[in-house]
Amino acid sequence: MTENPLEPYIESLRRQLEEQDPVVLVGVIVALAVVVITCVFLKYFLTSKTVRSAVLLVGLCDSGKTLLFIRLLSGKFKRTQTSITDSSAPYKAKNDRSCTWTLIDLPGHDSLRSQYLEKFKSAARAIVFVVDSAIFQKEVRDVAEFLYMLLTDPVVCRITPTLLVICNKQDVAMAKSAKLIQQQLEKELNTLRVTRSAALSAQDGSVGGSVYLGKKGKDFEFSQLPMKVEFLECSARGSKGKDGDADIESLEKSLAKL
Amino acid sequence: MLDFFTIFSKGGIVLWCFQGAGVSESFTGPVNALIRSVILQERGGNNSFTHEALSLKYKLDNEFELIFVVGFQKILTLTYVDKFIDDVQLHFRDRYKNELEQKGALKLLNNTFDFEDRFKKLLREAEVTSKARSPVPMRSFKESEKSQKTVKSMIETKGGDKSKEQGGKKNKNTKKEAPAVEPPKGDQGKTPPFGQKDVLNGNQGLTPEEIMQKKREDFFRKRKMGPTEKPSKSPKPQKPKEKVNRVWENAGSSSKNLDYSNKNGENSSGEDQKNLEAQFDPEMQVSSMKGDLLSVDYESSEEEEMEEEEEEVVDSKTSVKKSGGFGGMFGMLKGLVGSKSLSREDMEPVLEKMKDHLIAKNVAADISSQLCESVAKKLEGKVMGTFTTVASTVKQALQDSLVQILQPKRRVDILRDVMDAQSQRRPFVITFCGVNGVGKSTNLAKISYWLIENGFSVLIAACDTFRAGAVEQLRTHQRRLNSLHPPEKHGGRPVVQLYEKGYGKDAAGIAMEAIAYARNQTFDVVLVDTAGRMQDNAPLMTALAKLIAVNMPDLVLFVGEALVGNEAVDQLVKFNQALADHSMSDKPRLIDGIVLTKFDTIDDKVGAAISMTYITGQPIVFVGTGQTYNDLRSLNARAVVGALMKA
Repeated sequence: MTENPLEPYIESLRRQLEEQDPVVLVGVIVALAVVVITCVFLKYFLTSKTVRSAVLLVGLCDSGKTLLFIRLLSGKFKRTQTSITDSSAPYKAKNDRSCTWTLIDLPGHDSLRSQYLEKFKSAARAIVFVVDSAIFQKEVRDVAEFLYMLLTDPVVCRITPTLLVICNKQDVAMAKSAKLIQQQLEKELNTLRVTRSAALSAQDGSVGGSVYLGKKGKDFEFSQLPMKVEFLECSARGSKGKDGDADIESLEKSLAKL
Repeated sequence: MLDFFTIFSKGGIVLWCFQGAGVSESFTGPVNALIRSVILQERGGNNSFTHEALSLKYKLDNEFELIFVVGFQKILTLTYVDKFIDDVQLHFRDRYKNELEQKGALKLLNNTFDFEDRFKKLLREAEVTSKARSPVPMRSFKESEKSQKTVKSMIETKGGDKSKEQGGKKNKNTKKEAPAVEPPKGDQGKTPPFGQKDVLNGNQGLTPEEIMQKKREDFFRKRKMGPTEKPSKSPKPQKPKEKVNRVWENAGSSSKNLDYSNKNGENSSGEDQKNLEAQFDPEMQVSSMKGDLLSVDYESSEEEEMEEEEEEVVDSKTSVKKSGGFGGMFGMLKGLVGSKSLSREDMEPVLEKMKDHLIAKNVAADISSQLCESVAKKLEGKVMGTFTTVASTVKQALQDSLVQILQPKRRVDILRDVMDAQSQRRPFVITFCGVNGVGKSTNLAKISYWLIENGFSVLIAACDTFRAGAVEQLRTHQRRLNSLHPPEKHGGRPVVQLYEKGYGKDAAGIAMEAIAYARNQTFDVVLVDTAGRMQDNAPLMTALAKLIAVNMPDLVLFVGEALVGNEAVDQLVKFNQALADHSMSDKPRLIDGIVLTKFDTIDDKVGAAISMTYITGQPIVFVGTGQTYNDLRSLNARAVVGALMKA
């Protein structure tokens, strides 16, 4: 029964096709093919994941990010000033296996850092958080606040880049060790979880950072985070000052493992 | 002479530096201070900065993202520095153009910039030219004009005009007499010359009036010099030697002319003064007011003269634009494609429009102009990408700098700091100050509610001993808060207590006692409410400064309402000035934060936030959006800037 209504249509279609000029037919078929191929390509491009190949150097002002950037790229020593824009360059780790990353050095000043983080965080494969170990005791609250902001950022939580906390300026005598810094930061972040979640909402109603760090009920530890966190020591200036090399082997090794 | 000269990229890598002979300190500190206070706070309008004993001048190169900084001792006045920086910049760019044009930061690392010899040569040239232009030596008496006049000519005689003209002590007088003596079209030669001479004498005697009139005359001349095409003036007509009575344009010859009941009464005084200036203006024809009245721009009362000057400027600009319309359109298309670098002239119209837009959104007027100036400096010479218009680049840059201004420069986390003070077993003291009627007591109550909700105990110190009902107001708030959070739920003791000593006492003393009481009773936070005071009221400002200097609070909050316009600048400057002047220490406590109140009464005219943060550099800690206890918010910089830039 179903064939009967369709048959006359098929018949008329066949007759029409035979009547048509073959050139027009070919043109129609080519057009249809092009459309199909375009659709396939679009689907392929749109759904492919954005390649994340950036390594971001973040940290407070004067923690040594720009010098670390220079050392990683060229091994030389250059004087630096406070950065007001970002600098980026391709970086290839020492061993042959790894691929090229883009090393991006972001300014650390308070008024600039959120702007630049917004721009670059979605492309981050790893975040290198530079801490000034010499004056860490005075700055512990600011460091913790920055780290908290970073860890509760929704984009960062979604892409979970590797977090390398570099305790810089180890050449200074008073520098704290990485272990101590880790403990202090854990304690501080523990307190911050409570105060930040009680912070006021913004005037247009948006509540910032509703992500709760770590597990409720237990003290905060970096191992509770969904991303890989490593604490390393290094000295961008190096023990011999201007002429010597920097002690950044541990950092280079970690970067190579990415 | 120079202490140092550095060239570094905006990303922070120093390309080349020079340290003057005998200078041992590193210049990193002062240059960092320069960057933080000037460039990052968008005060880039003027290009010099002083830091301790050094004076720093800088120049931005936006095409290659470089900064040139020179530093020298503050006490030296070197005249060649500005031109020197420009020369160095040009030479550096020319020499290293190829290297600098490469993309990425590697170009800065791999190339060494040997600029030493060129620099020394330029420095020597600059020093030599400055010495060559030695200051003009003062003339000796013999050379001056005065020695060539005869004594007789300088004697003043009654009725003689000629003597006055020649022997005038100041040049001003000659200019003023000449128009005064212009032959008016009237036939009032009747009144004796004495009358006029008296007037002239009077004018010479009163110097402030002279100054005022001269200023008015200049101003009027400037206004008149606008779009109207004035026929080139013939040299001043030869005046008759005898004095002629001055004729006022509106005076007329009979009392009938003095009857202004038909005309608008308001304009009469304005026109009188205009005519005064007309008399003094040597180039204005006396009969130019005849015939049809000039267009609206010229007719108004005195207060609106400034506005009209701006209008005229806008008129001239629009007329220029219209004439170049066709060429301008083509130029715009040309500007869309391909890379061209921004110049001042391109940005001027857009910046003007942006400045007016900001002012319309309630940003203070001089702050808008400083902001636009700083954005212009940042963008000058920058190369635009394809398909970006000048307007969009400028808008984006302005938006970025506004967000940068609103971002706090230090950590703002009151709860954390209170916890800190708690661990140190001392109360955290917050002081509220501001002018009358901005909402200090209301927002104090809101903040104490927030603190109580987070488990802290609060002591309110009623240091407003002046305003009637201030103490009762705080007591009512205390009762309400205690009923909302009854003591049974918080360990048996009331969460809020009021410390008051009635009216008429010394506020600083009450504050000190309140803090001591809080320490004894282990309260976590002390909120000190002060009386509202106008920033011009010197004794009250001294009293406030004394309160803050003596008690050393942890946080000094300035409460300002969002409705305030240009007044915000004045208020904050004077408050900070008073706090700085009257404190004994060398590190005076200034305003640490701002509370922006009545935010719900403005829709998107949120400019007061920008004005306040720009002036003080301190963050906005709280935003008050209503009168109930829940109406307390924090600032979202992006939302505010979005509302500000919205058309």
